[in-house]
Parts: sequence; structure tokens; C-alpha cells
Amino acid sequence: MNGKTEYADLTHILNPKCVAIIGASEKQGKVGQAIMQNYIDAGFAGGLYPVNISATGKIMGHQAYKSILDIGRPIDLAVISIPAPAVPKALEECGKAKVKGVVIVTAGFAEVGNVELQEQLVRIAKKYKLPVIGPNCLGVMDPRSRSDTLFLPTFKIDKPNVGGISFVSQSGSVGSSTLDLISGEGLGLARFISYGNAAVVDEVDILNFLAHDPDTKVIVFYLEGVKRGKEFIEVAKKTTKIKPIVILKGGVTESGAGAAHSHTASLAGSAQAYEAVFEQFGFTIARSLEELLYFAKVFDTQPLPKGNRVAIITNGGGHGVIATDAVYQNGLVLPELSKPTQAALRKVMPPIVNIRLPLDIGGDADGKRYSDAFELLSNDQNIDMVMAIVLFQTPGADEGVAETVAKYMAMKNKALVAVSTGGSYTKSHVAVMESQGVPVYDSPNDAAAALAALYKYAKYKMSGK
Amino acid sequence: MPRLFDYDRAQHLLAKYRIKSIESKYVSSYGDAIKFAAGKPIVLKAISGKALHKAKSGLVLLGLSSDKEITEGFRDLSKRASKFKPYKILAQRMVKEGIEIIMGGNTDPQFGKMVLLGLGGIYVETFKDFALRTCPITRSDARSMLEQLKSRKIIAPDEKSAKMLEDLLLKVSKMFAASKMQELDLNPIILHNGTYDAVDLRMLE
Repeated sequence: MNGKTEYADLTHILNPKCVAIIGASEKQGKVGQAIMQNYIDAGFAGGLYPVNISATGKIMGHQAYKSILDIGRPIDLAVISIPAPAVPKALEECGKAKVKGVVIVTAGFAEVGNVELQEQLVRIAKKYKLPVIGPNCLGVMDPRSRSDTLFLPTFKIDKPNVGGISFVSQSGSVGSSTLDLISGEGLGLARFISYGNAAVVDEVDILNFLAHDPDTKVIVFYLEGVKRGKEFIEVAKKTTKIKPIVILKGGVTESGAGAAHSHTASLAGSAQAYEAVFEQFGFTIARSLEELLYFAKVFDTQPLPKGNRVAIITNGGGHGVIATDAVYQNGLVLPELSKPTQAALRKVMPPIVNIRLPLDIGGDADGKRYSDAFELLSNDQNIDMVMAIVLFQTPGADEGVAETVAKYMAMKNKALVAVSTGGSYTKSHVAVMESQGVPVYDSPNDAAAALAALYKYAKYKMSGK
Repeated sequence: MPRLFDYDRAQHLLAKYRIKSIESKYVSSYGDAIKFAAGKPIVLKAISGKALHKAKSGLVLLGLSSDKEITEGFRDLSKRASKFKPYKILAQRMVKEGIEIIMGGNTDPQFGKMVLLGLGGIYVETFKDFALRTCPITRSDARSMLEQLKSRKIIAPDEKSAKMLEDLLLKVSKMFAASKMQELDLNPIILHNGTYDAVDLRMLE
């Protein structure tokens, strides 16, 4: 927590056995109602305890309490959703009740100038050594534990699959919309954390937690700024040695310091400093929300390549040309196939197929031809990564091809991405490939950028910094 | 207002870290300057804490060779510098032509001391081709800074020059991190014949 080198433990916030909802209500439109409903709808298997100062009897079928101190059982997570002036007292009671973690969704603190009210929360959290996320945040979602403090109507947001991507966002709106995209794209979520004002738990704590979280394979961060620069660097340095961090930084267009006295200071503004830190410590920098997802899915599913050599297989000549350009524009190369691979391909491919990269296996290529190509390329020592272009508009491409690509998702430790450009027929096959863990992209350029990001991180990791 | 390191103090610091800078000397008369030149071309610069951008303020005169040029230059510069009192006049050897780069340091409010490498001289602000890292930097950081530059093939065309720049960058980073200065410009550093000369510098605390 702030000012100390020890980090907040978020285990009980993300994987609670017993949850108290402070401000729970049956009244439609109340945040406390939406949160209760979420826990019930998500099928949260642990204890659920509504707390409301005017409670009598039950709230949504669960015994209600006037104070968290009345529950008389150990509570892992308290979610606070009551008016801002009442929050300090509720937090104090959480401390007394020995709650292990708190999420304060309530707004109306430092973000609107109520700094003193927020300082009260910080003092209470310190006194009880309470990890507190928020205030002014969406909180957390964990599809494994089914803990979900998001107060968004469930019918408006897709439910994510369970997976390896942990998504962290200071902003609630970027958080919820991107979370919806992650779910809509069929990507697997490990943890979602929206941390708002970061009064107590900040990006440094969260990064440290996710670095050591076995369920998290890749950390995806939307960041507007950090509060503790030096500590952020320390934690980031350790984290990128273990797993990739894909980061999108908001607010990069600000210019360098205006009234600088030296050339260096006029060039090296705050945005440039962030960029430098990301570059230096092995972050993968995304330039848009789309890239955030493109990179997240390749890191989540594919092994790190040993080099920058890409084999392109395609059933469309033009796409092969575009993809070749994209590969080189991203600093990757198309190698020469090894002699044994060339000979073996010559035997199985029809005479019209030129045995060189990009390997255009023809508009009539079917599942069998893709399979032959994959089998031989996956054994070629000259190749580090494979980009499979499958255009489903062609006569040969059907579910057989989609299944073949899906089957080869693990190319004997070679990273594989697929490119399928097209409409609804294509989309249905893309879903088949993605459900098996093949990252599929609309354009060769996006696919090449994803492979380049994978290679860049692999290189950073191998450099052993 | 940040305070400019005195030129002698700055030179001393560079020497301590074995960073080569061009031979220079404060001169108090044109006679001094002529003696320093000893028949070879020199540069005259007026140094004042009130004029942080010397060239922009017209306080740099290049390529003065003959006694007449030096005498007139000294008088002219003294006149121009009179509005930036107090000032001193520095005579420097004229450097051979070469590639101009910048190395520098800045103190970021969030991340602390940072070191910069870029294409230098008059190109700094036009092309903004630079790389930045937090201090301390490792050799692989220095290498990646060089690789990040669009102009890398101009400033480090071969492995030997790349190695020389890495060594220099490591020294600059070490000096900047250890000192009280908040901002540093070594701009330009002129690269020529496999070596370099720091030609102008600005250290602010």
C-alpha cells in the first residue's frame, strides 16, 4: 500500500468464500440491488450477506443485517455501495469485523474534490491493514470464483469465458466496454479489476498480485497514470520476467514540458517518459483498444517464438502478397524453407503450387492440403512462427479447413495465427478456430503486428534483463 | 529558475567521467583568443546564465581563423552579450565536420532521472528522433536505445561505432544519475573518424 514496500493481498477480494454487500437493497435501480442480483445470477457458491442499515428480515432471499458486525461469521470481501458520507463508518466496521478485503464502488470522493473524505478512508484502511479497491470504481470480476461486483445490468454485457487474460483498468467505462469485447470475442478471462481512485490499492499492488497469480497468463492494462513511479518500475521489471503485460496508455498526446530549459527536457515530456519505461522494461505497447485485444489473445494462446522467421500459408495469392509486406513492415522475415521440407512439399502439393514462401496452396485447397502443409512446416527448423491465411470464400475452404487449423493450434512450439477476412459465413468458422485457441485476425497486418509483439517480448525475455 | 553549472565545473565533471570534450578556454581579450587559436580556426561563445540558448541568442561565432577575424569577432560578441551581463567569453577549437548527436538527461516528476540519445544539433527539434530510458541503464538498454533510432545507421554505421556510443551513453547516464544536476544537454556531440567530441553542453541544477 501507499508508502510501503509491502503489497496489498487481493486474494480474498478476487476469490472470496463469504461476501457482504453493504447497501444491498431490493429496490430496482439501486446499485446495491444490481450487485446482489449479479452474485445471485452468476451462481456465486459462497455465503452472501446483505447489509442494510434499515434492514429487517431478508433481502432477495438472503438473511439481512443492519451492520457487518452483526453477521458473526468471517467475511472475506465487503462490497460497499452506500452514499459517500456514510462510507468511512462502514469501512471502520469492516475493519472491526476483520474483513479481508473491501471494494468501494461509491463515487463522490477525490474525483469531485472531496479529498478529505477519501483521506479518511486511507487512514482507516491503514489502521486495519485493509486492502481496499476504489472508491469510485466498478470493482472486480472473477469468472472462476464468480465474484462480481460490477453493477451493470447482466443482459447488457456478455459473460466472459474462463481463461488466462487479466484485464485491469483505472477507468470504469473503458473497463466495462473492453470487458464486453473480451467476452464477445470469446477470449478467456482470469481477472477483471477496475480500481477507480486508487486511494489504497493502486496499480503497483495490482501488478504485483497478478504477477504471482497462477491463473493469469497475460496482464492487459489500460492506464492513465501511475501514482508511484519508482515502485511501478520495480514491480513491472519483475513481472515482465514472468509474464507479458500489454499496455494501453491514455493521454499520450500531451506535448513535452512547455517551459523546458534544455533540449532534452523539451523532448522528454511525461508521455515520453511513460513510453520509455514501457520500452525499457519489456511491456507490449498497444496503440488502440483493438490492439490491446489483438495482442492479448496471441499472448494468451501461443508459445513465444525463438526467432523472427514467419511462414505464410495461404489459399489466396493477393493475401499472401499483403501478408508478406506486413511481415516485413513489422520487422519479421520470410525465410527460405529447408531442403527436406521443400522436397516433401513437392511430393504432396499439386504441380501448380510453387514451393516457396508465401506458400500459396491454391484456391481449391481443402482440409487435407492445409493439414499436409502444417505437418511439414511445423517440422521445419527454419521457421519460428506460422501465419495461416484461410479465405472461406474459396470453393475448397469449409469447416474441414477450420477444424484443421484448430487442430494445429499448437504447432510443435511454433506460434500460430490465422487470418480470415470475410462476412457471416467466415465469422462462423472463425468462431470454431478461436474456440480451440487459435487467434484469428481480419487482416494480415493485424496478424503480423501480433506476431511481432510476441517476438519482441520473447526477445526481451531471452535477453535476461 | 534553474541554475547553470559554470563551464569550468561542467568540464571538470566531464573529465571525471572520461567524457571527451573539445579543448576550450575562457578568454578575457582578443589577444588571449588569438594566442589560444595559434593560427587554427576557433569558435567564440558568450556564456551567460541569462541566455540558455546561445545560438538562438546570437552568442556563437564559428570558424574564426585570422587575427583580424578573431579581433572583430571578439568585439562583436562582447557587444551582443552586453544585454546578458554577467557573461564570459569562451574560445573553443573548431571541430572537424561530422555527425551531430545529442545525449542528455532529464528528471521526470514520476520516474526520476532519465537519459536521452538522439540525432542532434539543429535536427533535434525537427526530427525528434530520440530514445529515452530511466537511469540507471544497462548495456543492453544502451543498445536498444541505439536500435530504436531511425537514424541509427547514420550515427552508428558499424559495430565499432555502436560500441563507442554505448560506452559513452553509459558514462553519461552514470554521471547524470550521480550528480545534483536536474537537466543535461550534450548537444551537439560531433562524431568523426571513429571518435567524438562533446562540443557544447548545458548542465542545470
